[in-house]
Amino acid sequence: MFAALACLLAFAPPGRRIAAGLFALTAAFAVAQMPLPRGSIEIVFIGCWASLVATAVTVHFGRRLTGYRPVMLAVNAGAWAGATVAVAGTTLDLAVASPWLALAVPGAWLAATGRGVAVKVVSSWLIAIALLAAVLPLVPTPGYAPDHLD
Amino acid sequence: MNALLHRSTQIAGTVALAVAAPVAAHTGTGLAGGFQSGFLHPFGGFDHLLAMVSVGLWGAFLGRPLIVALPVIFPTVMAFGGILGIAGVPLPPVEIGIAVSVLVLGGMIAGAVRAPVWLASLIVAVFAVFHGYAHGTELPSAADPVGYSAGFVLATGMLHVVGIGIGLIADRPGGAAVVRGLGGLVLLAGVWFLRVAVR
Repeated sequence: MFAALACLLAFAPPGRRIAAGLFALTAAFAVAQMPLPRGSIEIVFIGCWASLVATAVTVHFGRRLTGYRPVMLAVNAGAWAGATVAVAGTTLDLAVASPWLALAVPGAWLAATGRGVAVKVVSSWLIAIALLAAVLPLVPTPGYAPDHLD
Repeated sequence: MNALLHRSTQIAGTVALAVAAPVAAHTGTGLAGGFQSGFLHPFGGFDHLLAMVSVGLWGAFLGRPLIVALPVIFPTVMAFGGILGIAGVPLPPVEIGIAVSVLVLGGMIAGAVRAPVWLASLIVAVFAVFHGYAHGTELPSAADPVGYSAGFVLATGMLHVVGIGIGLIADRPGGAAVVRGLGGLVLLAGVWFLRVAVR
């Protein structure tokens, strides 16, 4: 999630980028402290993957990241990351994941030097990962499955 | 700029050779694990590896916007194919589809085919479904499915970039012939894979 957010923030105005990052972290740590019911784990995970997809898709509309949109999207991403930790992780997991936001720095450099397409390509990879991860809980684990040429 | 381009193509070629498995069709990976297992999966099969690199190679040859669009389309549609594999949706024989992908992409490069954007995107998307399906059938049994999927998606993307790096050779004197020659080798490999797959 933070990697996708970093791709998004690479296209945000510099001032909004830092604020959005701080808001994302604040939202994540705040929501992570909430006593969410353990039974909501599936909903939270699907919501997190959906939010990741939405964040990564928004990267492809980089030029429209004006005003408070980066901050709002960052709060959304942070909240879902925090919710995931609240139901199935610890604050340490959040601390380990947070540095991925730093990818916004090289991403911003790429965007500023006309190579922003590289960031958009990476965001598309994140979309692919999220789609697969979101579908997996819907399929029962069959146990060992032979390779497609076995 | 020329020195940088030369250096980048050297690196791309070295990486491609260093990670290529011995010449053999994909022989199976056994029980899938996590990120490392997923990352190594495309490298473990020469058919996967050649197809991924060829997508980048062809994209580099076709230029903008496809040099960017193809590495975006392939992993995204591959995820869709992966979902089909996870769900067990019946598909034509995956091995044949993968072999044909290597054959066709190699042929496109060897023949210097400048397909329109829509056609190139469609061709790559169709083949991405087969490759994704192959990965997807192993996902539910992986020890860490999310890590496994992250691994093979990232590996796929990196192989595209390697292909693009190699494809930039075409901008150098005589480079176009080299690239078409590589395409011819990929085409021959595809013929061999197809022969093995239909036996």
